[in-house]
Amino acid sequence: MAGSRLQTVGSVFSRTRDLLRAGVLKEKPLWFDIYNAFPPLREPVFRRTRLRYGKAKAAIQDILYPEDRIRAKFYLAYGSGQKAFDLFNPNFKSTCQQFVEKYIELQKLGETDEEKLFVETGKALLAEGVILRRVGEARTQKAGSHVSWESEPSDVKSQTVLENNKPLPEALQGQHMEPSEEQSKGLSPP
Amino acid sequence: MAPAASVSRLLGAGVCAGPLRPRLLQSATPGRARPSGRTLASAATPAVREPEGSIDLNDRILNEPLKHSDFFNVKELFSVRSLFDARVHLGHKAGCRHRFMEPYIFGSRLDQDIIDLEQTAAHLWLALNFTAHVAYRKGIILFVGRNRQFSHLIETTARDCGEYAHTRYFKGGLLTNAPLLLGPKVRLPDLIIFLHTLNNVFEPHVAVRDAAKMQIPTVGIVDTNCNPCLITYPVPGNDDSPPSVHLFCRLFQTIINRAKQKRRHMEALYRLQGQEGPGARGGGPAHPPSLGAYPGDRSSPLPEESGSHACP
Repeated sequence: MAGSRLQTVGSVFSRTRDLLRAGVLKEKPLWFDIYNAFPPLREPVFRRTRLRYGKAKAAIQDILYPEDRIRAKFYLAYGSGQKAFDLFNPNFKSTCQQFVEKYIELQKLGETDEEKLFVETGKALLAEGVILRRVGEARTQKAGSHVSWESEPSDVKSQTVLENNKPLPEALQGQHMEPSEEQSKGLSPP
Repeated sequence: MAPAASVSRLLGAGVCAGPLRPRLLQSATPGRARPSGRTLASAATPAVREPEGSIDLNDRILNEPLKHSDFFNVKELFSVRSLFDARVHLGHKAGCRHRFMEPYIFGSRLDQDIIDLEQTAAHLWLALNFTAHVAYRKGIILFVGRNRQFSHLIETTARDCGEYAHTRYFKGGLLTNAPLLLGPKVRLPDLIIFLHTLNNVFEPHVAVRDAAKMQIPTVGIVDTNCNPCLITYPVPGNDDSPPSVHLFCRLFQTIINRAKQKRRHMEALYRLQGQEGPGARGGGPAHPPSLGAYPGDRSSPLPEESGSHACP
């Protein structure tokens, strides 16, 4: 019974083919012709797993969308939405998603100022009946410590990110100070 | 099983290699010297006796599907959309990522890897097509998976397509030391399908390496924390979510059943053709021009065949 147990040397196919050619293996295995006719996209050769050293990083990009900025602002302002996510429903729209869609609608109508857009969207949603509870003032003051997760990671090469990568956190902080002073929604600080 | 076992014990007189076959005359290469016509003649048990005329018939049945690009119509079984709906694109977190899975990953969304479904579709087509061809040629398929959550599902899938499954602790030499553990002259699987490439301690399943050692091709669903190197036909995809594993099990079951059905049809078709027009077919080399010499007529062995067969 001939065979080659060297799984690190070549692929299963190359070893079988060579054994057949040498005459050591008498009978062609069942799968041989099928592999010949439909080979895989990559030959299954063994490779040693080597660690990456130094600054070498994987070439995998983050997936980011322009709507992510709006979502980030929303979550900073309102915390996680009041409505629980219903994952059973494939067409479910969360509060945040409704917010984002309304924001984009208003943006298409011609508004450019981010703060104004934000406020307008909030008002529009309230008008529709979606309750938005603002996170208390103590939370917004703590927003300074959340700056690190706000800024995008350094190896972002995604084309979905907008070109103007203005420093986001400062704009947000400045923006949040005013609305929270305007209307205190009564959320007691934690 | 008994006649096959006896035949294979006879074959063990030094001839065969690798996966044994109970049906002696079913070799894929017509030109190769067929080893045991004479050894069989000395036995009293004619396990499977086929008249000479059916050898090229068998070859035609076997080689016919290889000429078509999609003989089993695999592409209609799934689409990128259906893979997406079954959550096949969801991978593990970036910290669990295996280095060799990077080519198959589309990107990472908030640190969770997303698998590229275009590539998955291509790989899945190849894997299903290969499985179908193996099932068509009556190969033995073994389903392996060590995730307890889907253990029962894998076993029922295997049972429903008439193949085998092993979702329990994989003993050391099961493939490499098969004569000792399973009995002498056991036929090893011709294909191993991994629903989960890792075992319960997140290490590569022993059967991956052992299949490569025993020259058994493998099809496997590789998640972002798996090593796809040794798997012949890897399918990058989610192996943890129920919808995803259910989808894959369903696909494999459908395609195996379809392939077996196709095989039955082809055999019936060729048998009918043989019965209707034997003279019209350009037969093999050693054909006596007698009408009854075709596989439709197994019950009456014909003595005027080439004398390498013993009369039962």
